[in-house]
Amino acid sequence: MSEHKHIDQHAEDLLNGGVDGVLSVAEQDELNSLLAGSAQLRDLNEELKTFTGLLDGLQEVEPPPYLQESIERQIRLPVHRNQHEEKQGFFGTWLPAHWLRTGFALAAGAVLTVSIYEMGSGPMTAEDASNLVGTVIKSQAAEQGELLDSIHIFTNTLTGRVELRKKDDLFTLDVQLNSDGPTQVVVNFAGRGLEFESITRTQDQKDIVSIVDGSVNVASSGEKHYTLNLRRTTNSEGREIAPLELEFFANNALVHEAKLSVSQ
Amino acid sequence: MYKDRDAALVNDCKRGDRRAMSQLVSQYQRPVFNAAYRILGNMDDAADTTQIVFLKVFEHIADYDSKFKFFSWVYRIAINESLNQIKKRRKQEPLADSQASPWRGPDEEFDAARLSSRVQGALMLLSDDYRTVVVLKHISGCSYQQISEILQVPEKTVKSRLYSARQLMKKSLLNDGNQDKGGGPP
Repeated sequence: MSEHKHIDQHAEDLLNGGVDGVLSVAEQDELNSLLAGSAQLRDLNEELKTFTGLLDGLQEVEPPPYLQESIERQIRLPVHRNQHEEKQGFFGTWLPAHWLRTGFALAAGAVLTVSIYEMGSGPMTAEDASNLVGTVIKSQAAEQGELLDSIHIFTNTLTGRVELRKKDDLFTLDVQLNSDGPTQVVVNFAGRGLEFESITRTQDQKDIVSIVDGSVNVASSGEKHYTLNLRRTTNSEGREIAPLELEFFANNALVHEAKLSVSQ
Repeated sequence: MYKDRDAALVNDCKRGDRRAMSQLVSQYQRPVFNAAYRILGNMDDAADTTQIVFLKVFEHIADYDSKFKFFSWVYRIAINESLNQIKKRRKQEPLADSQASPWRGPDEEFDAARLSSRVQGALMLLSDDYRTVVVLKHISGCSYQQISEILQVPEKTVKSRLYSARQLMKKSLLNDGNQDKGGGPP
């Protein structure tokens, strides 16, 4: 491939269009006539053909064999409900839906509180204990907020994603995980001017939530979707917050580490 | 790219049909992976990006408007997500750009693919806008009009970016070749 003297824009457009096969009959005739009259254009045309041939000849690469299965496993489609399923049962007719939801939420909150109380005999400092402000389900407002950062986890034993959102002084980690075995997520927020506010949506008695030395530790298994809320302490306002550090364990082995940026 | 078939499969997905979802993933995972791979220059990042793309596609499948081509929508998400990954990488590793040129891929194990590796290296030196157009044209096989739909820029802009990108790549390969002649082993 060699350098060429300046070729006018119209000729260059025709050459490129010719190589891409998009010229009209009139344009192709014009190009043919230009090529017939200029050895330099003919050279350039050959170069362009060779070069685009190289690009077109780039070999397709095989996606990893696990990819399709991994993608399909994580996709949640809308659930199709037939007429029979949509019929409300006795309780559904009798009680408004939000009453039922509130009941479940309170039950889940109680389970979490018990789990945390049991964990309290472990290595918790007084400062950690003071951070246990609330463990019962919070309002849905926590689910809203500006998206600051997100990560995806794709390993053989654990898949999922975590989104970090911010609304006022509340930072929300929306965690979705899927694993066949036991998993554990550790969110380190020590020294960042944040305190643990609440955890929502874990409704499984086997889930264990603990707050130790400025980190939240959630142990669970199977398919999980929960939300961790951290609140900025009043004495940290205006300070830059370092990224949150996350560790993901599956079957007692560290499988993924990540950082979530708190500032956009 | 089968517009009517895709539209039917998308409708089935909206009704919760996982077989339809599987067919769409099967049909598009390879082209999406290849486009992401050529933009990012890394197999692992391309695999992660491909997964994110499909999660986003099906997360928003209810919002998909069948007036538009499904493949254009998927490619648009794929390109945006690949560019997001690049931005994220630059933010986390400011020196990553300098690693783009000595691209390492599986092709390098074979002499016959050395040229392909050099072409990929030249591709990685282009700006994001130029690289995206080259990938859509030469890897994904899209027409000017399809690229214009995917990137939502006029066809004129597509042509101008493509021609400039080819020029830059040619120059880059030419320099690369001259360096090889000068200092490299025979």
